[in-house]
Amino acid sequence: MTLYPLKGFPSTLITQTFFLKNEVLESRIQGLYCPAGDFFIDPRGNVPRAVVTHAHSDHGRPGHGSYLCSDTCEPLLKLRIGQDCRIESLPFGKQIKIGEAIVSFHPAGHILGSAQIRIEVRGKVWVVSGDYKPQADQTCEAFELVKCHGYVSECTFGLPVYRWQPEQMIHQQINHWWAENARDGLPSLLFAYSLGKAQRILAGLDNNLGQVFVHGAVYPFLEHYERAGARLPAVIKVERGQDHDFNQAMIIAPPAVEDSTWTRKFRSARKGFASGWMAVRGARRRRNLDRGFILSDHADWDGLLEVIKATEAEEIKVTHGNGDALTRYLQEQGSNCTVLDGAGIRGEEEE
Amino acid sequence: MKKFASLFHDLDSMTKTNDRLDRLVVYFENACPGDSIWVCWFLAGNRIKGAIKTGELRSFLSERVNLPLWLVEECHDRVGDLAETVSLLAGSNTVNKPISLDETIRKFLMPLRTMDTEERKETLYRAWDYLAMDEMLPFHKLLTGGFRMGVSKGNLCKALARVGKVEPAVIAQRLSGSWNCDNLSLEDILDPSDEAKDRINRPFPFCLASPLQEKAESLGKIEDWQVEWKWDGIRAQLLTTVGGSGMLWSRGEESMDESFPEVLECIPHLPPGLCMDGEILAWGREGLRSFSRLQKRLGRKNPGPSIQKKEPVRFQAYDLLRVHGEDLRSMPMEKRRARLEDLLKKVPDHLPLGISSLIKEKSWAQLELRREESRDRGVEGFMLKKKDSKYESGRVRGSWFKWKVDPFLADMVVVSAQLGHGKRANLYSDYSLAVWDESGKLVTVAKAYSGLSNDEIEEVDKFVRKNITGKFGPVRGVTPSLVFEIAFEGAQSSGRHKSGVALRFPRIQRWRKDKKIEEADTLEVIRGYAGMNDEVCNETGPKSDADGNLLLF
Repeated sequence: MTLYPLKGFPSTLITQTFFLKNEVLESRIQGLYCPAGDFFIDPRGNVPRAVVTHAHSDHGRPGHGSYLCSDTCEPLLKLRIGQDCRIESLPFGKQIKIGEAIVSFHPAGHILGSAQIRIEVRGKVWVVSGDYKPQADQTCEAFELVKCHGYVSECTFGLPVYRWQPEQMIHQQINHWWAENARDGLPSLLFAYSLGKAQRILAGLDNNLGQVFVHGAVYPFLEHYERAGARLPAVIKVERGQDHDFNQAMIIAPPAVEDSTWTRKFRSARKGFASGWMAVRGARRRRNLDRGFILSDHADWDGLLEVIKATEAEEIKVTHGNGDALTRYLQEQGSNCTVLDGAGIRGEEEE
Repeated sequence: MKKFASLFHDLDSMTKTNDRLDRLVVYFENACPGDSIWVCWFLAGNRIKGAIKTGELRSFLSERVNLPLWLVEECHDRVGDLAETVSLLAGSNTVNKPISLDETIRKFLMPLRTMDTEERKETLYRAWDYLAMDEMLPFHKLLTGGFRMGVSKGNLCKALARVGKVEPAVIAQRLSGSWNCDNLSLEDILDPSDEAKDRINRPFPFCLASPLQEKAESLGKIEDWQVEWKWDGIRAQLLTTVGGSGMLWSRGEESMDESFPEVLECIPHLPPGLCMDGEILAWGREGLRSFSRLQKRLGRKNPGPSIQKKEPVRFQAYDLLRVHGEDLRSMPMEKRRARLEDLLKKVPDHLPLGISSLIKEKSWAQLELRREESRDRGVEGFMLKKKDSKYESGRVRGSWFKWKVDPFLADMVVVSAQLGHGKRANLYSDYSLAVWDESGKLVTVAKAYSGLSNDEIEEVDKFVRKNITGKFGPVRGVTPSLVFEIAFEGAQSSGRHKSGVALRFPRIQRWRKDKKIEEADTLEVIRGYAGMNDEVCNETGPKSDADGNLLLF
């Protein structure tokens, strides 16, 4: 296969290991490509046709000719990459033909509108998981298992130390923390990714405890979550020049603003972070936080193993995260599993 | 075990010493005494030794959770702590019938030491079945011996003192030495009844001098004042009890017996019921050595003979507060001094015990001239004590003064910043400061927290947030641009810092907005202050005889 260099693309990511090439999917420098349908999945760079699993910025990137995503993903993707992009959408489960390929979207349970993409070419079925979680989440469509010949799985949390508790427990912990802070007259500043995690937390808040505020990056997604049926509490967007009494409030903000002047408004606040990474104490302590809540929108170790097994796939490719450990483990269990080329390790900043 | 687990997790998440202290008090007030005594035992630095080898623990774990050993090790690498790895992998959502910390330790930990491998494995498996998720980490911290909760022995004593209304010094005496949970109870530790008996064995609150802020002449006649060098060491009281034992007590309200055993060897040669105030100094054959030499002994418990020989110390006495159980503190300074001189004359010469010599000058002006010797002598200036003054508790004004030499000053560049705590939480108020080395690179020599006004801190904070260049844990790299004038008391060589020097008491004198980073000082200048450009000086320190008299002339 030919590798053509891409402008501004870091060369370190071009690793020659474990390229995928079969009649359904192949690895290209921009990402996974389906030759039979002439489209890419979650590509980088600029390609004519991008099929997108979900609206997070490391999957739905701006700059492509046209996009295809799930119906509920569409408004979120538009917010991320611009209203003027050419985006078409499909309801979950509906099959369409793109060239020689039959394509359908199936809920991934990661965030609202997140999809696993099923591609069938001449009887061979591959599924690209995007990011997924089999665990319950009241703010998005429930994960649907899709049987296939080949499965491309994420593995952000591919170590057995990552095991999630039921989300009700975490919601309880968050509400308990909020109540405690409110009793002490202190704001609760909770960092959570602005799309997905923030809404999931909002849906679990006990709004009798006080007023809920959100950062401007979280706010625009809320109406689309509500339209899709999520029940969220009334919130106030924190805006420049407006003064509120934050002393008993819950404030949800993306982790990226932790170091910005924005957070200075909440100097006295207790600070928390909701993320799967918080499962490890060192990650919690390094961030200088008062609390870490272990709430993730990805599959945990057991979730990865169950899903991968249940797909009955003959070939497994893992991407995003600590693929080496999961791969070796699955290989020892007799699975045909390798790490997909270009699979970068995720840092604690993303999820 | 529930209360202990909650104590453990709370202490673990707390960042302030005082919060930890408060939390510990709450624990002792609510936990049963049989559990509390174990917490005392662990916080006093004791460990259950030989319960299990880490390799064995890893292989038990691998077998139990049905994961290959390499994967357990992979997890250990990610988590960075074996106790936590075991807790994460073997933890389950069991709901158990609560048992006490005491029972947990006696049932699952202590017996491990004498068991064979099979029995040990079975016992651990039972523990893993039994323990709830939140009890796992504290349990395994006790098992692997890595039990640290950010509470020093001194703070433990303070917490117990608050619970039992007994003084920390009494608690420290009761907790010192070797004991176990079978031969000492919490009741013994907190027993107020023998307070009176203990009183004659107890240290006194330290009398602290104020800085001299006016002209020395304003103090009146020089003849009314006792003048000594201000020693650069560790303030301490050396005590003997009527029972023949003794203690070395620090200003931080901690016993230092384990750090300086040679000083305790003086005790049999001293009268009973004694309390002397003085300073622990690094002191070799040639006399006083620099504070950096003393630092080699700090934090080192039970030092061996070789380090004791290489880095000798002595107790430099300057006040006598009690002898034969008689409290002398209301006696005038002059009389106490006379009694002290008398007493030390009778002590054998070979002991690491000295007296702080007096400086006699006819006028304040002449004394001020002699103050110039301070740097060469390795002292910080003068102590001025009114001859008719009592020994008071805490900071006093008007009778004890410290007349320090002026600090060193250097211009330095802010290269990284960290969020402050308390009132300064969320503000970048802690800075790392650098100077230029020979190759034209900025090297960090100090960290400073204080000295700027609130407005200035806000201004620096704004700058930092806009100019972050990298993250190193909680530290943020900052584009070098700001120049601060830093005051400090001294510099010494240090293997810990890349620059090879460390400063004492650095603080921000002022913000040099008029200076560019190119105008900041060089490492050579700082080294000059440390006397590090001068090899001889670095090796032997200031020259003085056994009484601290100058040998430079």
